[in-house]
Amino acid sequence: MMDETKTHEVKSDHLLRVDDHDFTMRPAFAGPAVPVGVDVQVESLDSISEVDMDFTMTLYLRHYWKDERLSFPSKTNKSMTFDGRLVKKIWVPDVFFVHSKRSFIHDTTTENIMIRVYPDGHVLYSLRVTVTSACNMDFSRFPLDTQTCTLELESYAYTDEDLMLYWKSGDESLSTDDKISLSQFLIQKFHTTSRLAFYSSTGWYNRLYINFTLRRHIFFFLLQTYFPATLMVMLSWVSFWIDRRAVPARVSLGITTVLTMSTIITGVNASMPRVSYIKAVDIYLWVSFVFVFLSVLEYAAVNYLTTVHDGTERKLREKPVPCTCDISHTRTMMLDDAYLRPDANGLAGYTQAPVSSEDTADKQAHMVVCLSLANEATPAKKKTLRGFRIIQNTHAIDAYSRMIFPGAFIFFNLIYWSVYC
Amino acid sequence: MNFALTTLRLMCLAWLWPVALLKGSNTQNQRRHKDVYLGENTRHKHGGRIDFKMKKSDSTKSLLIKSEQLLRIEDHDFAMRPGFGGSAIPVGIDVQVESIDSISEVNMDFTMTLYLRHYWQDDRLAFPSSNNKSRTFDARLVKKIWVPDVFFVHSKRSFIHDTTMENIMLRVYPDGNILYSVRITVTALCSMDFSRFPLDTQNCSLELESCWYNRLYINFILRRHIFFFMLQTYFPTMLMVMLSWVSFWIDRRAVPARVSLGITTVLTMSTIITGVSASMPQVSYVKAVDIYLWASFLFVFLSVIEYAAVNYFTTVEEMKKLQKGKLPVSYNASQAMAYDGCFHDDMDVSPFPELPATPSTTRTIPARASSTEPPPTEGTRLWRKRSVGQNLRFIMSNSYMIDSYSRILFPVAYLLFNIIYWCIYS
Repeated sequence: MMDETKTHEVKSDHLLRVDDHDFTMRPAFAGPAVPVGVDVQVESLDSISEVDMDFTMTLYLRHYWKDERLSFPSKTNKSMTFDGRLVKKIWVPDVFFVHSKRSFIHDTTTENIMIRVYPDGHVLYSLRVTVTSACNMDFSRFPLDTQTCTLELESYAYTDEDLMLYWKSGDESLSTDDKISLSQFLIQKFHTTSRLAFYSSTGWYNRLYINFTLRRHIFFFLLQTYFPATLMVMLSWVSFWIDRRAVPARVSLGITTVLTMSTIITGVNASMPRVSYIKAVDIYLWVSFVFVFLSVLEYAAVNYLTTVHDGTERKLREKPVPCTCDISHTRTMMLDDAYLRPDANGLAGYTQAPVSSEDTADKQAHMVVCLSLANEATPAKKKTLRGFRIIQNTHAIDAYSRMIFPGAFIFFNLIYWSVYC
Repeated sequence: MNFALTTLRLMCLAWLWPVALLKGSNTQNQRRHKDVYLGENTRHKHGGRIDFKMKKSDSTKSLLIKSEQLLRIEDHDFAMRPGFGGSAIPVGIDVQVESIDSISEVNMDFTMTLYLRHYWQDDRLAFPSSNNKSRTFDARLVKKIWVPDVFFVHSKRSFIHDTTMENIMLRVYPDGNILYSVRITVTALCSMDFSRFPLDTQNCSLELESCWYNRLYINFILRRHIFFFMLQTYFPTMLMVMLSWVSFWIDRRAVPARVSLGITTVLTMSTIITGVSASMPQVSYVKAVDIYLWASFLFVFLSVIEYAAVNYFTTVEEMKKLQKGKLPVSYNASQAMAYDGCFHDDMDVSPFPELPATPSTTRTIPARASSTEPPPTEGTRLWRKRSVGQNLRFIMSNSYMIDSYSRILFPVAYLLFNIIYWCIYS
C-alpha cells in the first residue's frame, strides 16, 4: 500500500534539498554576516549556590535567521516543522553560554529541539536548555544583600563579520514564566543588553546578556541567626540579676551562653563560601559573642573584687569580732553552693561588739553568709547592728552592668540595622 | 551521406572538446553542479529524483566553495598527520583561562575552564583566495580533517562543552594555517601539602600532552586567604583559652563553678577542632592549624588540671589542720564541703571557738600575717625565695598560691606560644 510520504515525494531531505548543499558552511558564506535573532523564555531559576557562586537556569532558547538554501515552494505559505533529527543536516548557529560550568540540552523523551522552516527560507530553531553559570557574588552585606547575575550568549566560532547575534525584540525578547520564584530570593528584574567582546587570538564577537537582580529574603536569617544570637545575649544579662554569691550558677550561665554563641557562629559559616572579607552577619554574631564574653568577665571581676575587698576588710579590722549572725547551718545550705565565709567580720561597718563573745563561744561551726556593700566598704563608717540580717549583696559592678550592657546592645542594634537596611 | 554524418560528429566533438576542457579544469569543484544541471543521477544516494526544478542559486553553490571541495577534503586522507613520514609538525598552543571553578582540599584536585587553541599548518587545506581572508567553520568540519590529539595528563574528568553545539571553532587560512579552538572544563589532580595549612601556598599544574610528543605545563601558584580561618578558628580558640583563665580569678572555694567553667571550655575547644577537621583531607602529618588548636586545647586542659590540684592540695591542707587540732572537733570539712560545695578553710581566722583557752592567739592571726600562715584568702602576696622543696611544701600548704601564680604564668606562656607560632608561619 502506498503511503503518503512516498506518493507526494515530500521526503524532507528532498523537499529541503539538504544533500544539495554543504551545510557545514554558514548561509551567505563568504558574503555578509548572517543576522541571527535570539529570543529567550526563562522557564525556571533552579538554584543559586553561594558556596559555588553559581546559578542554574532552565530556558527556551530560540534563534531566528534566514537560510535561502532551505527555501521550498509552497502554495499555502505554511511553514514546516521538524524535530532534532534535522539539526545534524543543516546549518545552525553555534551559540554557547560564556562562563557556564555545565549545561545540557534536555533529551527526554527525544532531544527537546524544534526547527520550523518557512517557505522563504526563514528558520526558527528552538531548544530547551539547562545551564549552570558562574556569578560573582559579593557577600559583604550578607544576608541583607542583593546579587546581580548574568547569563551570556555568544557564538563560539563566528565573529561579528560572519554572524551577527542580536536580541530579536530588544528588551521584550526576554520573557519569564509567571511562576518563577526562589525560596530564598526575590527576583527583582530581568533585562537584556548586548555588547561586543574581544578575544586577542580570535577577534570580536557579539555577546548577548541576560541580567537579573536578586534580593535575599531576610526572614530565614532573622529566625535562624539573629534571633537566637539576641536571645543568648539577653540570657547572659540574666546573670547580673542573680545573687553574686551563687558562683556556679553565674559562671555556668555565662559559659553556656558563650558555647551557644560559638555553635551559632559555626553553623552559619558551614553554608557559606570562605571569603576573605567580613560579612554583615559576621559583624552581628561577633559583637554578640563579645557581649556574652564580657558578661563572663564581669562576673569574674565581681567575684575577684569581692574576695579582695573582704580580705582587705578583714585586714583593716582592728578587733576581730566573732560573727554575730545567728544563722544556722541548715539555713546557709539553702543558698546552695554560695561561697561561705565563716568569718562574719566581713560585715562592713557592723560592729559586733554588742554581741559578745559568749555567743560565739556557745555556738560552734556556724556558717554565715555575710558580704558587704562595696561602696560602704570604708571601715570608718560603722553602723550599729540591731540584730541579725543578711545584708544586700548587690555589687556596684552588677548594678551598673544591668544598665550598661542592655543599653550598649540596643545602641549597637540601632546602628547595625540603620546601616544595613 | 556517411561523410556528412562523420563531419557532423567531428564538428560536434570539436565543439564539445573545448567546453569539456573548460569544465574539466574545475572537475572536482563542479562535479555536483554539472550533475544537477544535466540531470544525471550518478552521485545521488536516493535513487530516482524527479524534482529537477532549478532553484535560485545560493552563494555556496555559485561560488563553488563547498567546504569539502574548497578544502579538498576527500582528496586527502586526513587520518594521517600533515607531513606524514617527514619531520614532526610544530603545533603552537595558546590558552585563555576562563575560570578556576573550584579547588578541593578533600579530593586534592582543581577544576578549570579554559579556551584551548592550537595553531599548525596543513598544506592539504590550503585554498586559493583572492583577498587572503580566512574561513571559519564550526564543529562539523573537525571530524573530517586531522587535528592534534592533545589531552590532559593527570586529569580526572574533562569534557568539551557542547551547548548548544560543540564549542569548537576551526579557522582555515588560505596558506593552510589553521587555528583550532576548543572550550574545555578539566578537573585535574594537584598534590597539595597541608603542613602549613591554612597559611599555605599551593603549586598546581595542568599538563597537556600529545601522544609521543612533548609535554606542556600550565603552572599556577595559589596563596590561601587567612582571614576566614582567623575568624572561624583562631579567634574562637583564643577566646576560649582566655575564658579558661577566668577560672583563676574565681574563688577556689567555688568548686562547681570552676569545674564547669573548665570543662565547658574544653568542650568548646573540642567542637572547634572537630569542625576544622571535617573539611580537611585525612593526611598523616600535622598541619599548622592542628598545632595551634592542640596547643590551645592543652592550655585549657591544664587549667582544669590546675584547679584539680588546687582542690586537692586544699583538701590536704584541711586534713593537716584537722590533725593539728586547729579545727573544732565537731567540724567536718569534707562534710561541709559536700553540703554546699564550699571550703571553710580560713579556720585560722574563724570565729569558731577552736581553742577557748587561747582566744588571743586566734585573734592575732588575722591581724598580722605570720611567716608561715598568712590568711589564705589573700592571693596576691609574693613571698621570699626559698628552696624548691620548701616552696613546694609551702605551695601545698597554701594552695591558693597555685592560683596566683597561674594568673600570670598561663597568659605569659600562651602569649609566648603565639609569638613563636606566628613568627614561624607568617
